Amino acid sequence: MKWVPETRAFDEAFDKTGAPRQHYRPLVSILESFTQDEIERRERLQKLSLIDQGITFTVYGEKEGTERIFPFDFVPRVIPAREWERLQAGLVQRVTALNLFILDVYQGQKCLKDRVIPPELVLSRKEYKRELLNVIPPRQIFTHVVGTDVIRNDKGEYLVLEDNCRCPSGVSYVLENRNTLNRVFPEFFKYYGVRPIKDYPNLLLDTLLHAAQRSSEKPVVVILTPGMANSAYFEHSFLAREMGIALVEGRDLIVEDNYVYMRTTSGKQKVDVIYRRIDDDFLDPLTFRRDSMLGVPGLVNVYREGNVALANAPGAGVADDKSVYAFMPALIRYYLGEDALLPQVPTYVGLRPQDFAYIRDHARELVVKTTGDSGGYGMLMGPFASKREIETYVGQMKKNPGNYIAQPLIELSSHPTYTEGKFEPRRVDLRPFILYGESVRVLPGGLTRVALRPGSYVVNSSQGGGSKDTWVLASKDGA
Amino acid sequence: MLSRVADSLYWMGRYLERAENITRLLLVTEDFSTETQGLAEDLAQTAWKDMLAIFPSAQLSREVAQFAPLSMPYLHAFFIDGSNPYSIHFSLRRARENARSVREALTLEVFLALNEVFRSLEAYERKGMMDLPAFRDALGATRKGIFTVVGAIEHTSTRDEGWRFLKLGESLERSLRSALVLRAKLPALLAAEARGDAPLYYTQWRSLLRGLSSLENYRRVYGARLEPNLVIGFLLFDPDSPRSLRYGASIVRDYLAAISGPAALTAPARIVGKLHADLRYDDEALMSRGDFADLLDRVVAELAKAHDAIATQYFVT
Repeated sequence: MKWVPETRAFDEAFDKTGAPRQHYRPLVSILESFTQDEIERRERLQKLSLIDQGITFTVYGEKEGTERIFPFDFVPRVIPAREWERLQAGLVQRVTALNLFILDVYQGQKCLKDRVIPPELVLSRKEYKRELLNVIPPRQIFTHVVGTDVIRNDKGEYLVLEDNCRCPSGVSYVLENRNTLNRVFPEFFKYYGVRPIKDYPNLLLDTLLHAAQRSSEKPVVVILTPGMANSAYFEHSFLAREMGIALVEGRDLIVEDNYVYMRTTSGKQKVDVIYRRIDDDFLDPLTFRRDSMLGVPGLVNVYREGNVALANAPGAGVADDKSVYAFMPALIRYYLGEDALLPQVPTYVGLRPQDFAYIRDHARELVVKTTGDSGGYGMLMGPFASKREIETYVGQMKKNPGNYIAQPLIELSSHPTYTEGKFEPRRVDLRPFILYGESVRVLPGGLTRVALRPGSYVVNSSQGGGSKDTWVLASKDGA
Repeated sequence: MLSRVADSLYWMGRYLERAENITRLLLVTEDFSTETQGLAEDLAQTAWKDMLAIFPSAQLSREVAQFAPLSMPYLHAFFIDGSNPYSIHFSLRRARENARSVREALTLEVFLALNEVFRSLEAYERKGMMDLPAFRDALGATRKGIFTVVGAIEHTSTRDEGWRFLKLGESLERSLRSALVLRAKLPALLAAEARGDAPLYYTQWRSLLRGLSSLENYRRVYGARLEPNLVIGFLLFDPDSPRSLRYGASIVRDYLAAISGPAALTAPARIVGKLHADLRYDDEALMSRGDFADLLDRVVAELAKAHDAIATQYFVT
């Protein structure tokens, strides 16, 4: 069995001498005990099981309705208990502060008055919904489900890369990856105490029920999906099935007398909580985008009246803006009086003239991103771009500097990944899922995304990324 | 339950049943046509043309090559031609699309089985079908695959409203298609009489029974002797055979009652209830009158009306 060592970045599995790190030792020896044929046979089994189960996502811009399987690499990522505890504490702190920030933005705007963050930066974002000023959801929770992307630098330090406070997706793959690995490589689990994650649907349902108004006795919870053509449709349907709740589309819902109902075979039924997997802009054509065919006319007004809970609450996207990100350490200190437990990547904000000048002059060394986009769309990887590409991009930037941020290129950590008969290093990130219900809880695991192309830094599924099972180990003393 | 979900499940049931019907009719017609083409080519021709009456807006997509067996263009059109709205490929694709849009309402087993049979169908389409044995083999495998889906539904689904809508679609499609098969074949068969060639005549009756999965069931009741009147009576009025029209109407009626609750009398329940009563209590008069074309036209029309009434009652709210 061949292991190709990582030369530049932090290797998750091997130390600098090429020896496996302690928590990877059993895994490496199990894999070494397999013959090449055996490994290939298992890999075939695993691929077949994904296709048969229809665990797919949809790629935009290709033939309509193209379904692809999300490639899965069977070498799991292992996170020791102590490492996870630190990460978890940092995430809980961060999500608590994010929620306080959103609450403040929509009621009081103290942080703007105190100039912790430039008001124009917040108020000019399209994710800031002026229509929802002073509309506060039940129990003051905006961010019921957050996916925060974490990376490790060349020293192995965990850094927050971005927060997803709107509709973070990927949790279905977290659960399915574990299922697949259990089935295809049961040997792995003999030597590791891996913390279970299958409880996620229960935790999510609890979180959603907690979001309901107290007046509803047995709240009706539904998932709102844009429909089958959406890239994350598999996940929407998966979560509905796991939670045993209805999966609705916009056309299944109607608003009457300021309540939301779903159309059923026995007439209309009232809905109390909507876990919406549809962006703010498409939620309600009467409030946001008029051309939206996906939403429900009048929905936002019902929310405003407190007659339906939306998870996440509309307007929450203001916190996962890439320029707001630059101010998170200050915001954490401002709201919690604590230093951020998790460091993050230094960020230049286009809105500040001196930052913009720096980005313009150093684009070749930087990763430049538009603040509104996600999924790896609309970004410039300076160190890998041609001179012309950089010039064109900078030309675009000048039209709207506030729309851009830039960060130095971080050498993402890499992880052994099985490609064509060898275990080669590929770059990875990590998306843990954080639920804000009665308390803030982190699912012990997460989506490890892996850039399958050699040398690539882009892990997004839409750009040729795959994923791995992510193990959080139980601590041995039971603590 | 959500109207949209009920609608999708109903159509999933219809398309699955339709796919099984097409598969069976292709296999039976292929047998018949191979057996008879040397003896009476016109009969073999007619048997294939009947497919176009049973599936009214189906289209043949290919020119008939001069020396190719008679069956080939029909097999191609009704099996793997995805653009023919009455091909197995089209029906299973629709069944799967409906299933995919309501995946959360199905068990994993059902979805897996449906996904699998559709994927193997796509593989046949890619590879192409060389000759008749290849078609037979693939059709047989597809039919088995469909039974796996139906078995998964039977074994794993909870008997809730969604399941009832799926079964409603299945049973309505089954009755409608049986009526159309009889409508296409019965009048010609009765007009033909035993025109000298008795074995050939009985081959047609046998083929009719097989086309409706009823040959063995008929024999269990009446023995091996094929008596045209007994066959007709069996296919129209038998109380237990899953493809007799009377039994079919009673099943549709039962699912409608299970959905609305026994006390409610909905528009579709009225239509199907009356149809069932005719078939149940008027059987002797209908048999002696002998105008089966008229009877079958009426059955087809009433079932089409029932479908519209179901859509109005449950899917458009």
